[in-house]
Amino acid sequence: MAPSVKYWKGEEELVKDPSFIAAQKNEFADDLPLAEVLEESDFELNSSRRDFLKYFGFSVTAVSLAACFKAPVRKAIPYLVKPEEITPGVALYYSSTCGSCTVACGVEVKTREGRPIKIDGSSRSNISQGGLCAVGQAGILSLYDNERLANPLKSGGKAEWAAIDDDVVKGLSGIAAAGGRIVIISNTIHSPSTLKAIADFKTKYPTAEHIQWDAVSYSGILQANKSDFGKAVIPSYNFDKAKVIVSFGADFLGTWISPVEFTKGYVKNRIPQEGQEMSRHIQFESNLSLTGSNADLRFPMKASREGVYLTTLYNYIAQAKGGKQIPAATQGELAGNSIKQTADALLANPGAGLVVSGSNDARLQSIVNGINLLLGNIGTTVDMDNYSKQFQGDDVAMDAAVKDIQDGKISAAIFYGVNPVYSHRDGKKFGEAIGKLKLSVSFASGNDETAKLCGFVCPDNHYLESWGDAEPKVGQYHFIQPVISPVFNTRQAQVSLLTWSVGITAPEKDPLADKQIMNQKFETSPYYTYMQNAWRERMGADGFDAKFNTALHDGVWTAPGVAATVPAYATDLSSFGSYIDALPKDNALDLVLYQKVGMRDGEHANNPWLHEMPDPISKVCWDNYVSLPKSLAEEQGIKLGDTVNITAGGVTYNNVPALVQPGQANGTVGLALGYGRTAAGKVGGSKEKSVDSVGVNAFPMVQNGAQYIVHGVTITKGEDSYTLAQTQTHHTIEGRNHVREASFADWKKNKKAGNDEPKPHMYTVWQTPEYRRQGATNHFWAMAIDLNACTGCGACVVSCSIENNVPIVGRKEIILRREMTWIRIDRYYAFPNDGKVINAEHERYEGKFLTKEKGIAELDAAVGKEKGAAYSHYENVRVVHQPMMCQHCGQAPCETVCPVLATTHSTEGLNQMTYNRCIGTKYCGNNCPYKVRRFNWYRFNNNSNFDYHFNNELGKMVINPDVTVRTRGVMEKCSFCVQKIQEGKLKAKRERRTVKDGEVKTACQRTCPANAIVFGDLNDDQSEISKLYRNERGFFVLEELNVQSSVKYLTKIRNTEA
Amino acid sequence: MTVLHHLSKSLRLAGIILLLGQTSWIYAQDPKAGKEIFDANCASCHGVCNRGAGPALKDVSNRRTEDWLLKWIRNNEQLRKTGDAQALQVFNDNGGSIMPAFAGLSDGDIKSVLAYIKEESPNCDKKKTVVPGADDANKKAESPDATLYILLALIGLFLLVFLLLARVKNTLSRLISEKTPEELQASPWYVRILPGALSRMNPVVLTMFTVSIFGLLGFVWFYDFGMNYIGVQKGYAPDQPINFSHKIHAGDYGIDCKYCHSTADKSKSASIPALNTCMNCHKSVQARDKYEGEISPEIKKIYAALDYDPEKPANEAYGKNPRPVKWVRIHNLPDHAYFNHSQHVNVAGLACQKCHGPVEKMEKVQQWSALTMGWCINCHRETGIDVEHNDYYEKLHEKVKADIAKNGEKSKYKDPNGRVVVTAGMNGGLECSKCHY
Repeated sequence: MAPSVKYWKGEEELVKDPSFIAAQKNEFADDLPLAEVLEESDFELNSSRRDFLKYFGFSVTAVSLAACFKAPVRKAIPYLVKPEEITPGVALYYSSTCGSCTVACGVEVKTREGRPIKIDGSSRSNISQGGLCAVGQAGILSLYDNERLANPLKSGGKAEWAAIDDDVVKGLSGIAAAGGRIVIISNTIHSPSTLKAIADFKTKYPTAEHIQWDAVSYSGILQANKSDFGKAVIPSYNFDKAKVIVSFGADFLGTWISPVEFTKGYVKNRIPQEGQEMSRHIQFESNLSLTGSNADLRFPMKASREGVYLTTLYNYIAQAKGGKQIPAATQGELAGNSIKQTADALLANPGAGLVVSGSNDARLQSIVNGINLLLGNIGTTVDMDNYSKQFQGDDVAMDAAVKDIQDGKISAAIFYGVNPVYSHRDGKKFGEAIGKLKLSVSFASGNDETAKLCGFVCPDNHYLESWGDAEPKVGQYHFIQPVISPVFNTRQAQVSLLTWSVGITAPEKDPLADKQIMNQKFETSPYYTYMQNAWRERMGADGFDAKFNTALHDGVWTAPGVAATVPAYATDLSSFGSYIDALPKDNALDLVLYQKVGMRDGEHANNPWLHEMPDPISKVCWDNYVSLPKSLAEEQGIKLGDTVNITAGGVTYNNVPALVQPGQANGTVGLALGYGRTAAGKVGGSKEKSVDSVGVNAFPMVQNGAQYIVHGVTITKGEDSYTLAQTQTHHTIEGRNHVREASFADWKKNKKAGNDEPKPHMYTVWQTPEYRRQGATNHFWAMAIDLNACTGCGACVVSCSIENNVPIVGRKEIILRREMTWIRIDRYYAFPNDGKVINAEHERYEGKFLTKEKGIAELDAAVGKEKGAAYSHYENVRVVHQPMMCQHCGQAPCETVCPVLATTHSTEGLNQMTYNRCIGTKYCGNNCPYKVRRFNWYRFNNNSNFDYHFNNELGKMVINPDVTVRTRGVMEKCSFCVQKIQEGKLKAKRERRTVKDGEVKTACQRTCPANAIVFGDLNDDQSEISKLYRNERGFFVLEELNVQSSVKYLTKIRNTEA
Repeated sequence: MTVLHHLSKSLRLAGIILLLGQTSWIYAQDPKAGKEIFDANCASCHGVCNRGAGPALKDVSNRRTEDWLLKWIRNNEQLRKTGDAQALQVFNDNGGSIMPAFAGLSDGDIKSVLAYIKEESPNCDKKKTVVPGADDANKKAESPDATLYILLALIGLFLLVFLLLARVKNTLSRLISEKTPEELQASPWYVRILPGALSRMNPVVLTMFTVSIFGLLGFVWFYDFGMNYIGVQKGYAPDQPINFSHKIHAGDYGIDCKYCHSTADKSKSASIPALNTCMNCHKSVQARDKYEGEISPEIKKIYAALDYDPEKPANEAYGKNPRPVKWVRIHNLPDHAYFNHSQHVNVAGLACQKCHGPVEKMEKVQQWSALTMGWCINCHRETGIDVEHNDYYEKLHEKVKADIAKNGEKSKYKDPNGRVVVTAGMNGGLECSKCHY
């Protein structure tokens, strides 16, 4: 079947908004920003344009030419004593563990001359399995954040460590002696050595308690498993073993528990292969999540009714299995009998299904457990024995502590890795209560909302400066080793805790001392010895040094796993009926609070890369917004650019930007957590520095018991208007046929399904270049992207920006369509073609999608508003993600129009961009059919208007020294990571061998958690890329232009029947 | 410099001839063999002219008898035990450091060594005289005074404008004076001074002619100026914080470049050696003989940088107040040009001198090559790559062989001299993204 589906990127495209049409005609948003350019700090000319031109007279030119003679004197400072392992100019890699969240992915850190510049997933780690998410990638910049605390603080003022230690020890001893309670409030800690340090602390101060609490809680699962199976743990979910995946609002590919690990498992069964069934993914949700966008079948649901649907699903299955049903009077069914179908699919695959729920309601999680148990999934796809330790937060204990602090029942509190004043729903009251404490200490690395109120701030090291270990899953240990000595006068939190309790001493014999390295700079942390001793107990003293060093080198150490079993089930679900019946039935709006793939819980709000990365679904950068369903927007007359006033859970925010989000379930709205920081810094917002917060803080709207679904919210249209920095319709390809998809059923019949359009006859005036001929002696670098694997998570976008020194431009410039990212992920929506069908019972609608011929007006008309199912076609959009970067065309349109030959073709198939030749005509950008060329409107480095990392000495440490930092007025674009190609080739040449397949990996490919991107040499017949190029699903975007692109996409196959 | 070099050579020769004539016992010995023995056994502690761990040996035959020297060298400890006054004094003068015994050396060997020392001794003074000449290269390398050129060009331009204006003024005044053209027949002064052919030309054509000549010259100058002077630092030889002499190290002592620039064959950067590389030798080599028993001031700078106390035992770690040496970078490529030493040194097997010039002769290092893009490209056009001994080029090599077998003399892999060669340029070495990314 030829795809005739109409794809669109945003509503403005769909309804042919005049501003969209106008923008579409211009590759570049605006004329040269001459006024601003002249205002840049390096261009000090306070004069009119006419004066400015006068300056360009001959005399100035002559004098400036003469000035060229004075080349600056540059210094070269070699090591005094060169560390043995460092070769200047050659990267050195260390294994470590990502500390950006508590998931603890194993990583490889790339360092150059002793400074870390890139983090990638480690293939030795069972968690990251070689991939890494956007947050993990961006973590490197937190190290070089010049707003981190440079010194410990006492009552807000700079202090010495020794003085603080004295005060804290005195305070703690006094409190403990008087029997006062001391609490350590931390996020989840699964590091065995840190837990030991806390235990030591508790031994010294017997009144101390340790409370673990996470800003975004999973306590529902913990509680359910405690009551059902007697084990308060989060199980390991084996998505790779699941043939049917059913998710109720769990965004497991984006934010839920361990997304990288889950993505790795998920994609294993998502690539259609001969003789192998694809897994089927069914998603029920309110907000359109990243996971929902990848589902084969997605059913919009009202979040507050989730319990009803789960109960119905349970009852269908229980009925089939002959089990006891939940006696609920309310049963629910969704459009297209979807619950029944889901039950059938699950029943057809006993032991190979997986049902998960994003709800934090323990009772719903118990029903989920019941479903999985009935289906025999526990012990196969749900592993309760090799369980996860990544989230152990206890909301009940935390709520009690918050109350006790308010009541003055607690005397001292130590905050470690948490920022409750910001991220607890009672944060404000809590903040006021901190003053009542006799002693308050924060280990925050920045002066955040909580730290500001604490008596002492003892800044923790960044994880790249620390020793440590982690146990993300039981028996799977990960190690953290420092790759740089502390940038600031900070101290590892564990060292602080131990200094105040048992005391901690530097290693007796510094392992670096006898290497004649000047010991005042290279002190080994005392925590190293502490950790080593803890590990000596675990590993055994026999041959310990070798074992320990191997573990550090690998970054992981695994104790033998145990076979998954089926634990005894202890819950009687029949008592749940009344609870389910009590769920709200009225039509009031639901608010679903969710995490964004980039911002998560807001801990990294000062990291500009995470703001600049467009949200995978809405493509909004630098903002938080209320996402509305089309029906509500129509009802209230809310359009793009409007704001809304939202009241939820007693909290009201006025004039919050609104976004009409296709896929948003009717009767629900969404708002992301993690925004609205007031003490994050110059990027995320800071009251102190008069920097506006990015977005509003949704944490106060969280309901009691850490429930993220708020029923009965009110939305009214706001007075203000607001422009969101949304990249969705930038670089649009004008409705051409650039994404292709087909159903699995069709694919089984025809391997070219969705991709079998007759090829147009091609004419060319160009000769076939040497590298494209048979028996070519040189490389032919090419890429393949599997649309079936790509989830659209955006890790590649951040990874690419780090590797290639891509500047951050900020909200204002993105609105002007001047974002600089070299790789973007185009997200396309498609409508089902008939609104009526969707609502009819017992009918399926998938596969029948709006065609190009059938207009939107016709569809809107077909939808009966009176049926109370207004705009259900908007609810049911289908989504395709397509990464787009320079296609390195063999007959590139950009090359032929460059007047100065700044962009040319290499003999290895690369489209080369030569910055030093470019004079900035932008002709190439105009002529590029893929819209992947980016123009440097400003000099983004050393420019106070773009005060991100390129603008300060510390931030510049992250710059990749092998890639030019571009200046104003030149074009840039994806280079296929040519620096990595050259490095790989050179390594092979030095070793007198050919380049091995897989040796050269582009930055996007390296980090991809879904293995969607493959790069290699097409002239190597055995290479992975050559095999993919022979795959019948392959197509080139805009093949009809005969530009001979070097990036092949593989048709998306959805596991649907029609 | 070369003249001086030759002169020193001839002087050395003259010295040898003189020596040969003077002393009879040396005649039987071979100073050449002596040098080999000296280098193998003695040079680690003694220099002929310079002090090492032991004293300098210049004119030692004049200070001691040959017999005493034979005994001392073969086993100085035994000699000291006999209570020999001279031996004890030598021992005490050198801080009681023990010189090992060389029982394995025959009389003939030792005599050869002494012959070598005798032959080398007169050269010590001459070596010093050579040093100042090394600065010549730097003077030559200084940049021309561009401002002067520009001012001259400006003056020329203004002169032209002035002439034109004068012409216009004349025409105008002629119109005003209402004189008949005949009355104005008398040529203006500047026509009168021109040679015959030019003076008969139409003044407009003449002006245009002159302007275009000047313009052309100006353009040529401007082009040359832009291409070869702006940003080109050929000959740049700044003063360095330590007056390190490549001539002494790489030239006189023949230390391999990669001993110090050890990363040249594995990294993009050849790297300036860390100071502990210097200390491998300079813990003991202190050139005291040149500075009246004091440590050379330049070597002292190394010690100061490392906060090292030379009086301490040699295996002690460095001090706690190091001051890294801020060398002045000589070879500055722009940020947008990527260069990798290992590609050229390791893969291509180029000698360092190919780009850096005769560093081993430079007292003070200067930028030898222009480091312009044209310079790079020319070399890539002309230089062959070894496709035979590197499996990376396996496919290319096969293709070259097949091509030559097929096309013989007409093969495209031959240079104008008929040599079969694949140049870097033929293999993509002229492409932008090989160096710019």
